[in-house]
Amino acid sequence: MDNQLWLYLIIFLGGVVLAVLVLQLWRVIEHRWKEKKEMTSRISIEDTLKHFYHCERNQETPLPESVAGILRTSVADATDVLTEMERHQLISRAGNRWQLTDSGRDYALQVIRAHRLWERYLADQTGFPESEWHTQSDKLEHKLSHEETEALANRLGHPRFDPHGDPIPTADGRLPEAKHISLAALPVEQPAEVVHLEDEPEAIYRQLGEHGIHLGTVLRVLRRGDDGIEVWLPSGTVQLTTAQAANVSVEPIAESEIVLPEPTVPLSALKPGEQGRVVNISPACKGAERRRMMDLGIVPGTIIKAEMVSPSGDPTAYLIRGALIALRREQASLINVSRNLTPATEQTPSQNEVTA
Amino acid sequence: MSKNGSTTKTSAPCETCPAHNVGNLKKLGINMDDWDYVVALAGNPNTGKSTIFNALTGLHQHTGNWPGKTVTRAEGGFEYGGSRYKIVDLPGTYSLLSTSLDEEVARDFILFGQPDVTVIVTDATRLERNLNLVLQVLEITNRAVVALNLIDEARRHNLTVDERRLARDLGVPVVPTAARSHEGIPELLQAIHEVATGKVVGKPHRIQNEPPALKKAIQQLVAEIEQAFPGLPNARWVALRLLDGDRRIIEAVKRGELGDLSIGSTERVNSIDMPLEVA
Amino acid sequence: MTTPTDPEKIESILSTAEKLRWDIGSNFHDHLMEAIYTDAARIADRAVSYPEKPPRFDLDRTIDRLVTSRVWGFPLMLLLLMIVFWLTISGANYPSQFLAWLLLDNGHPLLKTLAADINLPWWLSGLLIDGIYLATAWVISVMLPPMAIFFPLFTLLEDFGYLPRVAFNLDNVFKKVGAHGKQALSMSMGFGCNAAGVVATRIIDSPRERLIAIITNNFSLCNGRWPTQILIATIFIGGLVSAQWAGLISAMAVVGIAVLGVFFSFAVSWGLSRTILKGEVSTFSLELPPYRPPRIWQTIYTSVIDRTLIVLWRAVVFAAPAGAVIWLISNITIGDAVLAQYFIDWLNPLGLLVGLNGIILLAYVVAIPANEIVIPTILMLTTLVLGSGGAGRGVLFETQSLGDTAALLQAGNWTLLTAVNLMLFSLVHNPCSTTIYTIYKETGSLKWTTISALLPVVMGFVLTFFVAQVWHLLV
Repeated sequence: MDNQLWLYLIIFLGGVVLAVLVLQLWRVIEHRWKEKKEMTSRISIEDTLKHFYHCERNQETPLPESVAGILRTSVADATDVLTEMERHQLISRAGNRWQLTDSGRDYALQVIRAHRLWERYLADQTGFPESEWHTQSDKLEHKLSHEETEALANRLGHPRFDPHGDPIPTADGRLPEAKHISLAALPVEQPAEVVHLEDEPEAIYRQLGEHGIHLGTVLRVLRRGDDGIEVWLPSGTVQLTTAQAANVSVEPIAESEIVLPEPTVPLSALKPGEQGRVVNISPACKGAERRRMMDLGIVPGTIIKAEMVSPSGDPTAYLIRGALIALRREQASLINVSRNLTPATEQTPSQNEVTA
Repeated sequence: MSKNGSTTKTSAPCETCPAHNVGNLKKLGINMDDWDYVVALAGNPNTGKSTIFNALTGLHQHTGNWPGKTVTRAEGGFEYGGSRYKIVDLPGTYSLLSTSLDEEVARDFILFGQPDVTVIVTDATRLERNLNLVLQVLEITNRAVVALNLIDEARRHNLTVDERRLARDLGVPVVPTAARSHEGIPELLQAIHEVATGKVVGKPHRIQNEPPALKKAIQQLVAEIEQAFPGLPNARWVALRLLDGDRRIIEAVKRGELGDLSIGSTERVNSIDMPLEVA
Repeated sequence: MTTPTDPEKIESILSTAEKLRWDIGSNFHDHLMEAIYTDAARIADRAVSYPEKPPRFDLDRTIDRLVTSRVWGFPLMLLLLMIVFWLTISGANYPSQFLAWLLLDNGHPLLKTLAADINLPWWLSGLLIDGIYLATAWVISVMLPPMAIFFPLFTLLEDFGYLPRVAFNLDNVFKKVGAHGKQALSMSMGFGCNAAGVVATRIIDSPRERLIAIITNNFSLCNGRWPTQILIATIFIGGLVSAQWAGLISAMAVVGIAVLGVFFSFAVSWGLSRTILKGEVSTFSLELPPYRPPRIWQTIYTSVIDRTLIVLWRAVVFAAPAGAVIWLISNITIGDAVLAQYFIDWLNPLGLLVGLNGIILLAYVVAIPANEIVIPTILMLTTLVLGSGGAGRGVLFETQSLGDTAALLQAGNWTLLTAVNLMLFSLVHNPCSTTIYTIYKETGSLKWTTISALLPVVMGFVLTFFVAQVWHLLV
């Protein structure tokens, strides 16, 4: 008897606890749902602002149709968003011409700042692959308050450029003017360095990477045709379409600033017993990985000897500044070495300062 | 507190080794309540930092032939030449410029903890790579001693290291040691003592090969920093960090902590907040 | 304390720095590192002189060629590992028996007599001696000897410099599942003790790969679980075949479980690196240090102090309360049954659903602190439920012979399915509380600790459920 009483008591208590839990859960869900609704409207407004900002820079006129395309909604919904924004004095309208107000432009720059900071963060402090930086940042850029954005900037050491080479707008809303020109407009034979790669559309961004065009790559245009251009790279010559070339920004450099094109091979091509001199670490190697390699003493001029290969085929152990260090094949392929151990000329420190 | 009572705890297997009868080393284990000088132990991973730490304090930090065994900060003490020393074993790092937590811990302690002496333990058989860290530490402090450890390994490989030449080039005392056999420990203690008491003042090497554009920027910034914080021993290094956007240093400049660094005192070591466990 | 510095000057420094940063370009870090190494190379060059001609015989490289050779690399590695395991298992037997004889067979009755002599109330002597003392003594006698042998041996290999070569040899396999070659070592260490294995992941300096190694370490069948596996395999699997094959078959079953654990390690590593851990920073570096002759006595001394005793101390801290709980639940009576009976009845439906029973589940709940006491707890609880005398309530025990154990378990309605699922569940369940605590200390993160604790136990239930359902379909 006594026994049963206990059982009922426990079942009752269990029931009460469960009821409280369910109630709490419901509240959380309700709260989330409300938050999500507010979030959607924030995202639409911020994405529209970015669109307006790009239009302004490219001297195009934003239309409800183009906004609908960006937001992936109907024109009617897009018009609603525009009205809402006008009410908040983010944009203004004169007849059929919509344009950013000053506060709208400030807001747009803040969103771009958040986006580029996130990209920097993803590149430097996480292990996400390059292809995901842009899409992830597109979501993350809407999630931070102003204070949180500044905390992020602080944590990243107030970076100046995003990993694609775009300048990050400053906290007070200045966007340092880039002195870039498009590769499509670069005079033939003029040597230049890649300072920016447009990350949209993604397909072209990826193709450029496959062609060996990265930030910091030195190149020159050899020939200009109707359907595209022929470009010289240290690794060879490539054909680029006009669309591809338009997505590359370059900065002209003096002839003397080109590091002589040395025939290089990736470190991974060395066989055990062979030696190479580091010419550079590929720009594709970024963030923590790049810093670690430099910490280990892999800088231009370092002599590296391949010592032995793991019996399972990978990694390979290299003798680097007296230490035996194993690198995986993907890592070693990012280090370009020359088989010629003494540099032909006294190596001048390679520079790419932004001349004021 | 009594200075004699505290030696009893450690019963090192090596107390009878000749090295310890030399000089007047008294290993204090972890029983440190007050001290006259603070010594920081920095170095690349797997250079025998912990072995040196053990040799000095009589403690038994685990050592192993792997980089990165010491993850927690270890502290100990010893008494030498009538002064009491607190010694802090920092996590082994390749550099102080990157952003890993270990490096921040080591860097913060050397900069803000202001140890009276920083001993940089190097592997004599891989000197070139180890100098990377040495040069970075020497940018921060001039109160440093370089322990040229694993000198027995170097001998085994027929390498000779001219430590006097190295000392002249680096501008700080260099002591060859083989901590595993206690070789060179007395000389290391002597060097630590001399730097701590100010008998030897280092004139450390500063990095020279920056590209010209960088050099110009550094000069401009250094001039301004020196004007604001006269007597700062490492204005150049602070400038480098500001140019790299180092948040910890920017905050330090903002809060005026930098000004304190020019005074120099050992008490501040206690107030530095260091995570004991580094994830 | 702060020297007053003109705030305007500070502002101006920061703004100058900010302005200059735009001028020096984005390759600042690269240039600086290059400058430092240029200086370093020049200074090193002046100070170090190399031998006139390179030595004809380089011992380090010769050893390296051998231990990483395509032909000898793997066999040598397996041989060394087998020697280490064999020394541990066979060497631990005698000290283990001695400790059991000392602490359990003699220490326990002695204490009981002592307690009776000083008229300790029955519940206090029960709680302290039958509960806390017995559980702790049990853990010590099972855990200490193998650890005291395994860890020094491993440390010797480590000090010599061989372990990094193992990581080098195996890295390709680990790379394919998104892990680091050094995980081979933390996994091997896990065969000794998962808590020590988790600590050993410190050598992995890449955050993502270290977390993978921590979370999957539990799949290395630890020292505390081997006895369970061996006992159950001997009784139930070995019992399936004729006596001459019994030993071999049950040994194969145990090895099979261990291999399955390795397989789970890889599978879970693969999954983790592609899902929740995708965004963690990942860098690879593996330095192969020069060989150094190990100093044997020093190594044994420090590894006993550093690893064995610390792990043991933590286990004891956790085992003592478990002993108390075990004793309490089997001695507190509500109505006409003890507390344990209620728990068992509640857990039974779930237990049977996954092919186990309420007793086993309860044993795993109370034995979270140490896997060593799972079997004694199961035996004690089974006796309790069957109501057949034996030792006192809540007193852990092991039967005199295998036959007695088998008889007892069969009386408790154990089938071959129960045995197989117990073996599986023993491999795939939450880590012991010592390990969970160690994971928290090492990661400093509640999130990763929770994931490491819950992931395997959920997997364990799914796995045993699946096996049970298939079994019912077929048998």
